Amino acid sequence: MKNNPQPPRWADRFLGWFCAEELLEEIQGDLHEAFYHRQQHQGLFHAQWAYIKDVFAFFGPYAFEKYSRTKQFLPMFDNYFKIALRNILHRKSFTAINFLGLSIGICALLSIGLYLQHEYSFDKHVPHHERVYRLQSKYRDQTYTNMHFSDYYSSSAESQLQLIRFLEEDEAVDVACHFVPSYTAIGGNDQYYVEIQDRRFVAQDVLYTNTGKRFQTIFPQTFLQGNPATAFSEYNSIILTEKLANRWFGDTWKQQSVIGTTMTIREELYTLGGIVADPPSQQHFDFDWIVYQQEIPSWGAYTYLKLTEQASFPDFLGRLNQQIDQVYPGYSEDVLRKGIEGVPLTEIHFTEGNLYEIKAVANPAYLSTFGWIGMIILLIIWINYTNLSIAMYTDRQKELGIRKVMGARPFDISMQLVAEASLLALLSFPFCYLLLHLTLPYFGEILGTGLGRANLNHPLTLLSLFSLLLLTGIISSLYPAVTYGRKSLVHLMGDKIKSAFGYKYLNFRNVLLTSQFVMVVGLLSVSLFIYQQMQFILNKDLGFEKEGVVYFGVDGAEKYQALRQKLAQIPEVNSIGANGVPGEQMYNQLTYKLKDAEVTLSDGTQQYLDWGSIQTLGIECPPCQALAEGKERIFVINRTAAEKLAKTRGISPEELVGTTLVTEPEWENEEHGFGIPHLIDGIIDDYKYFSLKHPNQSLLLDIVRQPEWVYEVLVKVQTDDWRQSMRRIEQAYGTIETVRPFDPGFLSERLEKLYQNERTAGQLMGGLTLTVVILAFMGLAGMVSYLAFGRQREIGIRKVLGASVGQILFLFNKEFMLLLGIATLITLPIALVVSQNWLDNFAYSIDPKPWVVLLASGIILLLLIVLVSLQARKAAIKRPVEVIRNVN
Amino acid sequence: MKGLGYLEETILLLIMLMDEDAYGYSVSMMYEKHMGKAISISAIHAVMSRLEKKGLISSYMGGATPERGGRQKRIFEVTAAGRQTISDIKDNREKLWDLIPDLS
Repeated sequence: MKNNPQPPRWADRFLGWFCAEELLEEIQGDLHEAFYHRQQHQGLFHAQWAYIKDVFAFFGPYAFEKYSRTKQFLPMFDNYFKIALRNILHRKSFTAINFLGLSIGICALLSIGLYLQHEYSFDKHVPHHERVYRLQSKYRDQTYTNMHFSDYYSSSAESQLQLIRFLEEDEAVDVACHFVPSYTAIGGNDQYYVEIQDRRFVAQDVLYTNTGKRFQTIFPQTFLQGNPATAFSEYNSIILTEKLANRWFGDTWKQQSVIGTTMTIREELYTLGGIVADPPSQQHFDFDWIVYQQEIPSWGAYTYLKLTEQASFPDFLGRLNQQIDQVYPGYSEDVLRKGIEGVPLTEIHFTEGNLYEIKAVANPAYLSTFGWIGMIILLIIWINYTNLSIAMYTDRQKELGIRKVMGARPFDISMQLVAEASLLALLSFPFCYLLLHLTLPYFGEILGTGLGRANLNHPLTLLSLFSLLLLTGIISSLYPAVTYGRKSLVHLMGDKIKSAFGYKYLNFRNVLLTSQFVMVVGLLSVSLFIYQQMQFILNKDLGFEKEGVVYFGVDGAEKYQALRQKLAQIPEVNSIGANGVPGEQMYNQLTYKLKDAEVTLSDGTQQYLDWGSIQTLGIECPPCQALAEGKERIFVINRTAAEKLAKTRGISPEELVGTTLVTEPEWENEEHGFGIPHLIDGIIDDYKYFSLKHPNQSLLLDIVRQPEWVYEVLVKVQTDDWRQSMRRIEQAYGTIETVRPFDPGFLSERLEKLYQNERTAGQLMGGLTLTVVILAFMGLAGMVSYLAFGRQREIGIRKVLGASVGQILFLFNKEFMLLLGIATLITLPIALVVSQNWLDNFAYSIDPKPWVVLLASGIILLLLIVLVSLQARKAAIKRPVEVIRNVN
Repeated sequence: MKGLGYLEETILLLIMLMDEDAYGYSVSMMYEKHMGKAISISAIHAVMSRLEKKGLISSYMGGATPERGGRQKRIFEVTAAGRQTISDIKDNREKLWDLIPDLS
């Protein structure tokens, strides 16, 4: 046959490759025979072609060798799942612990992840956000997040647009806009009555702009009704968010157009120009409605610009600073002006320490702390899971041994363990989902973010939940899987459990346990430090009385005087004052110096308040005696300012009384030459006007008897029935004021708000710590019970030899206590350093003391003893005869 | 009795009527000859392995020839169960045919 033509070699080889071995001979034989005959009758080409066709016809399940391999493989997989399910059902309590621990941990982790994602997505929804910048100006030692108009308050509609026009002339700038949210310090914190037909609504959180179309270009709003072209075509146009539209028009606005509805605000006529979707919570400014009018009612505005695609921002900024005198005459010669800078839009949320920031910024330190806690939780879950699987497999060694006898390769054993653990992990998916579904809205609320169920149902979230679970299953089973896979049969079938993993003390399990203790003790002590600090801040003597003090806004001195008369008639009202309500965000500081002194200080906060305020706040003020004696106005400084000033002259603070202080000495004016002189009438003790995060608050106070301008009222109320007293105050207010709504607040609450960020962080930290502790102890509980179970006979023999239950419990506790001790030593320095880092945020803080770490360790120790004893007791109280006779 | 497909039935009959060895290639030739259309060898193999699983035919290896490059054939024979099945099918069919009224 040698000379006979042969079928194509490659097709033959292909057949040999895929065809099942036991079928190859007959199939190939048949095909060759067919080829031989065809070649004789129909020619070589046809025969070859037919042969190839036949080979491919066999390329299917029937002769598929790969298929027959999967057929062997799949039942094995089937078997893994069957065994896994049986084990899960067999060890119900163990499984429950695992499920619960895993679900809680993964939920906490995912919540943290969602929160971080929320924070890091700030302003990223703005199209081309990488080209959008906000201009900020540096003045004295502070950076202002807004720009001022060239002639401040007296600017006209035209001059307000000067800067915007100037910016847009630059070739690098595509478009620029500015706006002022009313709730910012420069927006005046105003509230309005908005009249629509016969109805009146209270409204706040408005965004003023006179660059409507440009605003729409940079920050496109989604118009649900109306369109941007008409909404911003004429001044005095109002754009509502969906939220406000629902409140004012009910749901009906969706069915019929309400565009063009006229509204009256302070006797001026406005038209509804559009309704837009609510702004996302990941945006550095918020608003309920937009007022597009000719003039922004402020002295400046937040100014944004969008660069063209090719432009470089540093180049542009350089040009701007060189030419800025064209907008602000004399800007570059002013020594106090330190130039204009810009922040990329997406970094605004992370830029700390600037003046008049619109929304509270994220503290990157907190974010990274949460990230770390997330990692710790993940580690603890993995450690738990690993520990539990190690413990669980100690009494399944025989099963694995039998598998090996039956021919399982190391890889098969490893696969089985990994498959089981992954299955168990994935089975908790519904639990996790349910738990997140219940907790996420609360979590979002605590954090003041828009996090909610919508985030949970995002496919990416579900995918990460799934992969986290799968990963947990795989990673945590990796160590036992590899170890058991490689173990020799003799080891598996033998009875030695203790020598199963490494050396006696330095074994894998103990290392894991110790690191777990480090994390738990560390987190707990940091939480305790945070709690201490929060208590310290909230209870610190601020130098004034905050209980029972109510504050609210008022328009002008005339109304204040009238209101004072009315309020004085209410018996519960003890005292009334104007201006100077503590607990404000840091605002602009000014320069001051002693007359004829060389050194100028730049951290002064000047205030204008009436004597009533001092009395209402209960501030000790000996110099105020002069007011009682008929003086109209006095100038006092606080001790911090006095000490600083005295140092510049080398005299004692008390000697300052009677000397002259000059504020803003670099300001040249006709009346006084340079700056404004003030005769110091006295010195008062420090009180903390700003947040305790700011040290050295130098206050320069103008205290008057009859204030000439008033924007805020303070009232000290002594009452048992707050509801009634507040109603009386409101009534008094209502008789005086009809244009401005009543907006009272408690001073103590305002002060607490200063530390909102820290409180939230503290709460979250506490919650997460609790989660971590619970997780760690759940894992521990499972492990101890397995260890105790495995040592039953040892315990039995000990008891026969005379050991008491107590001694046996001590035996168990001893091992864990030793590990905890080591962990505490490791934690101590770490916890102290980390806490000190956090406390550095505050100008006034506690000292982190080592005993707090020991306390944390003590708490953990106590829990540990209770838990270990409870779990080990089950084994310890068994009658020895029952366990010893039980020879496997 | 397990169900028998049309092709299975045909091939079972073909094996029964063949005097020479019945194996993949010869059966396919037979099919072509009697049924008047070609069938791929792989289809024959698949059907025959199904018939064998059902216990209707049995097989043994043997009969290497030079055309096959010295490879053995898997030669099939119809078992008693196979004969029974096929005659049962025939009987059932005939019963049905008898029930059809003669209209011609």
